[in-house]
Amino acid sequence: MRRTILVILAALVAVIALGSAVIATGGDSSTVTRPRLERSLTTTFTNLYVTTAHLRGRDITAASLNAQAMCDKAGAENKDIGPGGDWNCLMSWTDPEVPMPPEGYGKFELNVHSNDCYTAGGPSKLTGFLTMTDTQGRVVTNPLFEFDGCFDADSDNTPTGVVYPSLLAVASTVVTPDSNGNASLQVTCGSGDQGCSGTIAVAAGDTNLGTMPIDLAEESTTTVPLPGKVPTSASEITFTVHARTGFGPLSPVTLPVQAP
Amino acid sequence: MSATTTSPLNTVEATSDTTRRAGLFAPLRWEVRKLRAQYRAKAVLLGAVVLPIIIVVVIHGQSRPPKDTLFGRFATVNGFALALLVLGFAAQWVIPLLTAVVAGDIFASEDQHGTWKTVLTRSTSRGSLFWAKTLTTAGFAVLVLVVLATATIASSVLIVGHQPLIGLSGQTIPATEALRLVALSWAVMLPPMLGFTCLAILLSVWSRNPAVGIAAPVVIGMVMQLVGAVGGVEAIRPFLLTTPFEAWHGLFADPRFTGPLSQGLLTSAAWCALSLGAAFAMLRRRDITGG
Amino acid sequence: MNELLAVDATGVTKTFGAVRAVADISVRVAAGEVYGVLGPNGAGKTTFLRMLFGLIRPDSGTIRVLGKTWDEHGVGVLDGVGGFIESPRFYPYLTGRQNLEGLALLDGGTRPGLLEDVLDLVEMSERADQKVGGYSYGMRQRLGVAASLLREPRLLVLDEPANGLDPAGIRDMRALVKRLAGSGLTVLLSSHDMDEVEEICDNVTIMKRGAVAFHGTISKLRTMAPDPGHLLSTTDDDRALALARQHPALLVVRDPDAALVVTGPQPDVAAYVSTLVRDGIDLLAFNQTQTPLEALFFMLTDDTTHQTLDRPVELTQAAR
Repeated sequence: MRRTILVILAALVAVIALGSAVIATGGDSSTVTRPRLERSLTTTFTNLYVTTAHLRGRDITAASLNAQAMCDKAGAENKDIGPGGDWNCLMSWTDPEVPMPPEGYGKFELNVHSNDCYTAGGPSKLTGFLTMTDTQGRVVTNPLFEFDGCFDADSDNTPTGVVYPSLLAVASTVVTPDSNGNASLQVTCGSGDQGCSGTIAVAAGDTNLGTMPIDLAEESTTTVPLPGKVPTSASEITFTVHARTGFGPLSPVTLPVQAP
Repeated sequence: MSATTTSPLNTVEATSDTTRRAGLFAPLRWEVRKLRAQYRAKAVLLGAVVLPIIIVVVIHGQSRPPKDTLFGRFATVNGFALALLVLGFAAQWVIPLLTAVVAGDIFASEDQHGTWKTVLTRSTSRGSLFWAKTLTTAGFAVLVLVVLATATIASSVLIVGHQPLIGLSGQTIPATEALRLVALSWAVMLPPMLGFTCLAILLSVWSRNPAVGIAAPVVIGMVMQLVGAVGGVEAIRPFLLTTPFEAWHGLFADPRFTGPLSQGLLTSAAWCALSLGAAFAMLRRRDITGG
Repeated sequence: MNELLAVDATGVTKTFGAVRAVADISVRVAAGEVYGVLGPNGAGKTTFLRMLFGLIRPDSGTIRVLGKTWDEHGVGVLDGVGGFIESPRFYPYLTGRQNLEGLALLDGGTRPGLLEDVLDLVEMSERADQKVGGYSYGMRQRLGVAASLLREPRLLVLDEPANGLDPAGIRDMRALVKRLAGSGLTVLLSSHDMDEVEEICDNVTIMKRGAVAFHGTISKLRTMAPDPGHLLSTTDDDRALALARQHPALLVVRDPDAALVVTGPQPDVAAYVSTLVRDGIDLLAFNQTQTPLEALFFMLTDDTTHQTLDRPVELTQAAR
């Protein structure tokens, strides 16, 4: 019995030692990489899109779809490597019946496993819901709503060069000035290349409150103080975003003022 | 005592110098005969037929598919997807268990019954007995896998149907091709399964305890599965015996990739060779003091 | 090498951890001889026999069986050797006949009809088609003899064949061994019972704690035999044991059954009894129990005179 326990302990120690040695030396050795994911996702999506279109009675070719993807793992500070549920992929494609949103792509959320397989969920606005109706009127599973894919760990790992700008958005829904008229605004920068920067012009009706610079990393949120005091009479504030990097809202955003 | 009872004694001197040696074939026949007489072997085979059918019927009756597993998304509407879902499930612990039930016991049961001294005082070397037992368990593993695969594929296709299958690159695979690939996927389970057979043999020889021989490979398999699923230790994934259980994924990609298959074959062979080598060394050097 | 010797063991030693099971033993058994290895449990008999069969590897020394050694011939050493170690074990889920058929396979086959003959010989024919799991101890013992004879051995090794049998079983087994011994086979018989060995054997080795305590013929052993032993039960065994010190010619030890065993010349025994009576110790029982050879065996294998006998350590336990 003692012999058994000793051997099991020795085996455990060996496993842990091996494991920590591997972690210490080769953390970046994962086969899950951005280029492989981008290529695999594009292929899988294209095949499924064509299949789904056929189910709806439409004829689309893979070439005409021209899908392209950019993947990113967990924000700017993380390397785009390794399995996890925090991969985001931005994908654009061409379907005359389904126009892309202004930023030019849809965002897919991926859960990538260490065995080089992943599950992807698309934006419902672009890819539809869980079920759909086929040409014969039957309710069937929508292959695009969520799908699985696997890629070859030995496949091409050179960057695809596909980049999309981050989506810059105003996250606040109201402006709440304090008793001195100071207020702040929350802005977010989504997945994408190089984060978001630029200026936001702030106006209360006809009163110009100045402009404020912004500079955010991708997949981050920040709170910036408004450049001027909010007049007590103001009921609405208008923000006009000029994005230098990233893709900002095309029209000004108007938020109501909430009394402190 | 009558005249007949003395006959063996009278002949003792007549046959004084028989040099007899059982080759590998005779102990092999003996091991197979013992296995056939054992309830556990029949139970495993029966389980390999009945369990997949029950699982197929139950999953087919579900309103929501088990979509957190590969191919689970279409398992309720596509027989091939269901057969692959069962495959993924079986690889987690069922296949190691099915082979370990026999392989983990075949050496340790000699300790349990105290029969090492019985068989080792005949004209069969430890080496012959070792290989006879090993071949018997390997043969049984093949048989179990064939039965399990046939029962799963046949029941899924008959109960759920043989619609074209959506592959792992989103491509549509025609039914006949899908059937071929599903059968092939089950077949490529054999190398890692035999790896677990060898591991069970090692544990059976080492522990001299059938319970350890049967349970430990299953537990080790599950630990390896966990380690393989953890991020950050991907460098050891190729060396885990559970990784080859996922090598079939490449068959359903487009373009097809077989790197994991050959890597898995190598890994399984290495595990098997090391396990058997250690087990044989242990058995050869061992003093048989029990029984 | 001397082809005449069925067993030629020289300087054999085996140690399990701290336990020296067999220490520098040499045993020579001539062909056709009936040889006894005698000793209490734990004396190393079984370890020695296991080494003979190659089940245990000796640390040093050589063992030659029918002229062959394990190092040179491997399992070929066992050609012409049959027998069993301790109680024979079989596969409980198979019948007696299936067990024998399987063992015959491992032997490389047997002569047709031999299987039935050996089953007849040990009177197991009628039970041969029942599963061994349901056999009694004595039936397994008889099946063990049958399994040994199936090899048509020239050297038959039997390790305490009568051990654990009831009186009728012991009688039958002894008769069987005697018959086998009478047929010209070389028989190596281990026992802890002097009676058994005295009855059948020509030569004997007596082992004590892994070493040889006596080696020679039974007749030589007889000449060394001391006076008969007596089983003595008194109202105060402890004091009686202490009083034995006044009689240096006597060997008085405590029997495992809590009586006293008195061995020595008749006049001294009588004097000892008088001493006891004079000291007010009453005799509850007084019987001559041991044959002279048994008494000798007892002397040879026990060095804890005037003390309670040690419980012998079973080798297989010590080896774990």
